[in-house]
Amino acid sequence: MYSRRLLEEFRKNSIETGDRIRVVSAGAEYSGFLMPRPAGGDDDTIVLKLDNGYNTGLKAESVELIAKAPKKPPAPANEAGPVARGGIAILGCGGTIASKIEYRTGAVYPSITPRELRMAFPTLKKWDIHSRQIFSLFSEDMGAKHWRMLADAIEDEIKDGSEGVVVMHGTDTMTYTSAAISYMLQNLPVPIVLVGSQRSSDRPSSENEMNMLNSVYSATQDLGEVAVCMHASTSDDYCHLHRGTRVRKMHTSRRDAFHSINAHPLAAVDYRSKRFERLSEWVPRRKGGLVAKKELNDNVAMVYIHPNIRPDLFARLDDYDGIVLVGTGLGHTPANAFEDKTVKGVVRPIRELVSSGIPVAMASQCISGRICMRVYSSGRLLMEAGVIGDGADWTPEAAYAKMCWARGQAKDVKEIGRLMMENVAGEITARSAIEGY
Amino acid sequence: MKIGIEIHQRLDTAKLFCNCPSALAGEDEKPRCAIMRRLHPVLSEMGEADEASQAEFAKDRAFEYHAYSNNCLVEADEEPPALLNPEALRIALQVAMQLNATPVSEVHIMRKMVIDGSNTSGFQRTAIVAMNGHIDSSQGTIRIPLIAIEEESAGIVSATEGKATYRLDRLGIPLIEISTDPDIRDGAHLSEVAEKIGMMLRTSGKVARGLGTIRQDVNISTEGGSRVELKGAQDLKMLPAYVENEVNRQTLLLKLLLEIRERKALPVKTHMVELSDLLRMSKAAIIAGGIKAGCAVIGQRLPEHEGLLGMEIQPGKRYGTELSDYAKKAGVKGIIHSDEDLSKYGITEAEEAAVRGALGADDDDAFVLVVAPIGQAKSAMEFVLQRANMDFIPGETRRANPDGTSSFMRPLPGRARLYPETDVPPIPLTQALLASIERAEPLAEKKARLEKMLNKEMAGRVLKSRHLHCFERLVSAGADPMLAATTLEDTLVSLRREGVEFSDIEKTLTELFSEFRRGSFVKAAIPEVLKGMAKGARVDAVLKVYRLQKISGPELEAIAMQNDFDMRAIMQKYRLQVDPQEVAEVIKEGKKEQGKDFI
Repeated sequence: MYSRRLLEEFRKNSIETGDRIRVVSAGAEYSGFLMPRPAGGDDDTIVLKLDNGYNTGLKAESVELIAKAPKKPPAPANEAGPVARGGIAILGCGGTIASKIEYRTGAVYPSITPRELRMAFPTLKKWDIHSRQIFSLFSEDMGAKHWRMLADAIEDEIKDGSEGVVVMHGTDTMTYTSAAISYMLQNLPVPIVLVGSQRSSDRPSSENEMNMLNSVYSATQDLGEVAVCMHASTSDDYCHLHRGTRVRKMHTSRRDAFHSINAHPLAAVDYRSKRFERLSEWVPRRKGGLVAKKELNDNVAMVYIHPNIRPDLFARLDDYDGIVLVGTGLGHTPANAFEDKTVKGVVRPIRELVSSGIPVAMASQCISGRICMRVYSSGRLLMEAGVIGDGADWTPEAAYAKMCWARGQAKDVKEIGRLMMENVAGEITARSAIEGY
Repeated sequence: MKIGIEIHQRLDTAKLFCNCPSALAGEDEKPRCAIMRRLHPVLSEMGEADEASQAEFAKDRAFEYHAYSNNCLVEADEEPPALLNPEALRIALQVAMQLNATPVSEVHIMRKMVIDGSNTSGFQRTAIVAMNGHIDSSQGTIRIPLIAIEEESAGIVSATEGKATYRLDRLGIPLIEISTDPDIRDGAHLSEVAEKIGMMLRTSGKVARGLGTIRQDVNISTEGGSRVELKGAQDLKMLPAYVENEVNRQTLLLKLLLEIRERKALPVKTHMVELSDLLRMSKAAIIAGGIKAGCAVIGQRLPEHEGLLGMEIQPGKRYGTELSDYAKKAGVKGIIHSDEDLSKYGITEAEEAAVRGALGADDDDAFVLVVAPIGQAKSAMEFVLQRANMDFIPGETRRANPDGTSSFMRPLPGRARLYPETDVPPIPLTQALLASIERAEPLAEKKARLEKMLNKEMAGRVLKSRHLHCFERLVSAGADPMLAATTLEDTLVSLRREGVEFSDIEKTLTELFSEFRRGSFVKAAIPEVLKGMAKGARVDAVLKVYRLQKISGPELEAIAMQNDFDMRAIMQKYRLQVDPQEVAEVIKEGKKEQGKDFI
């Protein structure tokens, strides 16, 4: 956003972003197109796109309009007319996997109509696809409300005969969504594949195309699960298909950021060579109809346990309906089992939360491995206080989404505890395979 | 004729958008890993045609990248870029000021789309630092509209039709790009301007030295001809040859074009004929070998073109070479055409006649043959036809060959596709920042100053030397200028020939000259002292071990007496330990004393 002074100057000269203008700066004259101000830098400096294509920042002594930019109506996100059914449904939630940049202004728009998708990914022509935009958000802005909207849309698609569903999604919280959908939509007759990209689609090097095509290819397979399809390595060679409740984003920026935790990926996928190689057992397409249990409660907190954590923090959590602790080690918090004067345990306030009817579950910061609160006194004290999760090998994200879901499904704390510890979609497994780490 | 030049100079700093060192991997260093990637066109609103061409370029090409120990995730396109290297920006600003340019108010980093795989991201980051500069030349002012800072591309290792391999050690080294307006008159003037800018860069500060660290792209347009960009000229001495050859090329092409028009030889209609069966029994190695390897022979008639393909348009290069350069875009090695001596391929007269028959080519016609897998051969022939049908001199980007000629690389790019690098915020160039940039000493002043402390010849050598900055520092630390200059420019060179190398020349010489000022050894001993120091010893230890301490005073007098005050004998034995002037004085004094005795 430009400074007030410049905005006023633009207004006086009827100048808007995209217009061709003349700027005098340091005594020299420059003409070009007015660009929007990016974040950062000095908002009192004009950003001009010169005729050589470069943007440059100029302190203007004067500014004058040369020509207005042609007006163009924004393209509708969804195509008008009846939406096609059958084939593979591609649903857009936002993220950078399929967006396009407007070079004139530098703005990024989501692209979602099948035509635009086919333009972005010409190889999609191989498959019968249809698409629609559910919403367009950064995934870090998404929450239970959006999981619900997405689950509704997927349910509609399945009822309308789609043979597979692909969801384009930002990568940051993709694994919360994949876990939530895994609980909300059960007995799946078709695959539901979430896909994103770590490199934005405005780069020629974006891995979006390969991820997208491998997702659509996966959605045609005999799979009855919610899965995430992302790069398996830093090379553009093949993707891994991960179980929606087992997958976690393990790197801030690499293409191969997504890993299956305590498990192997479901499959190695490469549409080019028609490879859909089984890496672990999966559930095939289910008969008997989709089971939708879509009620959620979004009033759930997740607390990362750390040294110096104070008991009064927990007292402030009493208006939440559920809490997931991300504990240390096997599932611990400071508990002061030795009753040392220099230590402040937090078991008492946790016990108070549980006794006031708020379910509290445990996951581990170790990410890999199983919660075993029976081993040390700290854990035993937490179990006595009513913390659930002992024996669960879930990821923090799968545990969090599970709490939102369980809290939406039941009111009774005991019933919630039972739902939490019952495996719904592979979030809790009975055996820890030796080679799973 | 109009000539402009673009100079790309590597800086001697860390990389532009990460903290990796800019030193290239050693010759014997093996890549740490290989990464395989593909690039694809990005959706834009710049028109379908542009996308189509991009799609064609990028079609199914795989790129392999070799990463070395000096690479990180940024070069691998696996981590967002760091902020622009502030040291590189300061150097660029210093150069801009020397070129009388006005720094922009705010530096905006752009992405320039490059899809040949030479950047892992698919674009090169580039930013304007200053505009509206100029320098003086013998033939008037040369305008410098643009000074930019950008990242170096990855170095190519190998390329085939389906795959190109690059090394990442070079990717991301900061470059300063200096572009002039087409104000240059001719080849000699071009050399002068390039040399002047090059010298300014080298004398002003932290720019990289050595092969490949500076590159010139020359833009030439001629009256009635076209604009051609010659890429990658490294040798300044060749610049006039490039200009001359390009002007001749365009003049000859114009002549050729008039002849083509006279003969009404255009357009050439596409009529490719497969000749594989016809030539199956041919003994010509290129044809027989090709057919055996599963290739096809495709022929095409060029009506009324007899003799034209053989016309020389560059030294040793004919019009047929131009067509061949276009064909190479399809990945073939070249073409065979009828204006060549076909017998050198082993093609018999009978075979030629049969080919002419099959193509319907009579004596006024020329023909072209391509041997390659059938799809590739056809696409190569399409490129040949595309060039043959140009009723004008095409604007091209051409590779500057070391011999002064040039070869077609690709059509001139349209306006560069630039869009903002959103991962790096713009950098305001504040008054405080600009004021803190040290002004480089103007070249003329520096030259005059050096000439005063050295002689003209040595000043010229030092000015061009890679050791210029080291020299300046040694002198300001108290070294004798002439001695420092000869040591750097002569002594070190001859020592290097003997295989003597130093890990840190500046440190060694600082130590050497400070000991020398103490009078511990004589000038003549310097090469021997350096040899000892190259082994890692301290200067005082070297003097002791190799007996290089200076001899003077009573000891020298005694030696003089022992040698009957014979200058030659003394110098022969003690050359590395005595100062000749001092010896002369001792002899003079000694002889005086002897004279007294006789009285």
